[in-house]
Amino acid sequence: MTGLEWIILLSKLLVIYLTIVHVVPIMIWVERKGAALIQDRPGPNRVGPFGLLQPVADALKFLVKEDPIPNSVNRVLYAMGPFMTLVPASLIVAVLPVGDFFEVQGKSYFMQIADINVGLLYLLSISSLGIYGILFGGWASNNKYSLMGAMRSASQIISYEIPLGLAAVGAVTVYGTFSLREMALGQEGTFLAVLPRWGVFMQPIGFLVFFISAFAETNRLPFDLPETEGELVAGFHTEYGSMKFATYFMAEYMNMATISGLMTTLYFGGWHLPYLTDATLLGWLGGQRNLLAVLQFLIFFFQSCCLPAHFRLGALDGAAFPL
Amino acid sequence: MKELFFIFFSLYTIAAALGVVLAKNPVYSAFSLILSFFGLSALYVMWGATFIGMIQILVYTGAIVVLFVFVVMLLDLGSVVTDHSHSWLTVMVSAIAVWFFSLLMLRTFNHTPLVAPATPLAESNTRLISQLLFTEYLWPFEILSIFLLALIIAIYALTRPDAADKRKVHP
Amino acid sequence: MMEAQPIYWTHYVATCLFALGLLGFLIRKNAITVLMCLELMLNAANLILVELSMRTGTPDGIIMVVFVITVAAAEVAVGLGIVLNLYRLKETVELDAFKSLQG
Repeated sequence: MTGLEWIILLSKLLVIYLTIVHVVPIMIWVERKGAALIQDRPGPNRVGPFGLLQPVADALKFLVKEDPIPNSVNRVLYAMGPFMTLVPASLIVAVLPVGDFFEVQGKSYFMQIADINVGLLYLLSISSLGIYGILFGGWASNNKYSLMGAMRSASQIISYEIPLGLAAVGAVTVYGTFSLREMALGQEGTFLAVLPRWGVFMQPIGFLVFFISAFAETNRLPFDLPETEGELVAGFHTEYGSMKFATYFMAEYMNMATISGLMTTLYFGGWHLPYLTDATLLGWLGGQRNLLAVLQFLIFFFQSCCLPAHFRLGALDGAAFPL
Repeated sequence: MKELFFIFFSLYTIAAALGVVLAKNPVYSAFSLILSFFGLSALYVMWGATFIGMIQILVYTGAIVVLFVFVVMLLDLGSVVTDHSHSWLTVMVSAIAVWFFSLLMLRTFNHTPLVAPATPLAESNTRLISQLLFTEYLWPFEILSIFLLALIIAIYALTRPDAADKRKVHP
Repeated sequence: MMEAQPIYWTHYVATCLFALGLLGFLIRKNAITVLMCLELMLNAANLILVELSMRTGTPDGIIMVVFVITVAAAEVAVGLGIVLNLYRLKETVELDAFKSLQG
């Protein structure tokens, strides 16, 4: 690879990955302010106008606060737990297509860090590795409640991987490829000149299944069992101090961002705006469009995070089976 | 360059396999098993069998080892670490048996000529594999699905909670 | 791509993995570790199958690997069910404790 190709690859890597990382503080703010507005209370309003600097204050707090390590934990796995969740959450970003292509010196490069021809399989397998951070973190804490929280969370994630995978396989059947870029390419144009040829119109049931499983995969309400305050203290991250706890949270929010990115790619046309035809100009706009769509989904998540209903434990896995 | 990658990943896999065999705590063994599966998957992807590489991570690392870790954590086997001090005779005999077996395997391999033409398989082999699964290998595929059904029934029969009392050993 | 690398390198690696798995299977006392070493042996076989399949350009080896992975998953599940029952019997999974048929 020539030097130019290295530079382009590194810049793609930095831009796409850092965007997803920087979306995390925005999500924190939107969640707290949005939940507050829906629940008719002020929300964070002390730090900056409308509480906009609240994530910055949170980050400073996590950086400066003492990171206690209890005496009886298993040191190696305790320290590795948060990173075993963060690394798969970061790796998924590599196959999400953010836009079409851009041309530098006559050669066109895809707006995607890596276009693997089994991209969807890669995504499903890497996201099933996120379980280990939870399991090993909960076990290494040497605390029965952490372990119980970890097992509950892990069993929830595993149960809902099956409908997630089946919905994704539905998309594979329609587009005939595992590559995420080609799935997004297959969604351009319109359907009977009325609807855009998006996945959600070709497969509404698949979208519904995927939507519900995505909530369960990322532990958002109403699948919030691992974090129920009344039953377990804080779930599997009870014993974790400031920075490791922040890493778990960051990994959870990054998972949310990437799954909504996947949802956009499979069901909402990837980077295609509803009725515009394809052009290279669209490729430039398309990058931003995908991010807008990702943010659109995150807003969906936050609206529903204020729903008060939790599933009962047995009902959750029982719901996975018919799903 | 590819040879360097091969050497690196194969040494990594063997080191992780050593970790599986030698670790006293079964949780550490499971973790080393995950690492060795990653090494193997890297080798598969390096050879161009991307489908199998991803299936290896999805099924082996993402499901089988999760089963192991669940059982270890449920039965709380990680906190009570059993001592595997054997008599040196057992270790000696096992090592000699393994050594003979490996010699046998190596002699078999190095005497088998490779007759097929060296045309490597195409990169996008998922389509080819799925076509073959449904045409030439349909019979094993269907038998496998019936087998998995029998398996689910067997596992349920094995781990039913209400029959536990009947299986206890009476003193 | 693969022609540069001699074929017996993979054979050595797979034999090493198989030997380690076999050694662990014979030596270890914890039933779960024994099952894990069994998985190592299966993976050594998979390695050879995939490598030969990619080298000769026939997809049959890869299909065999798909079946091997599926059957390995099945057998692990049943094995762990048996281990759970052993634990119910004797409160331990050390294989030395299950000696009632010995002698």
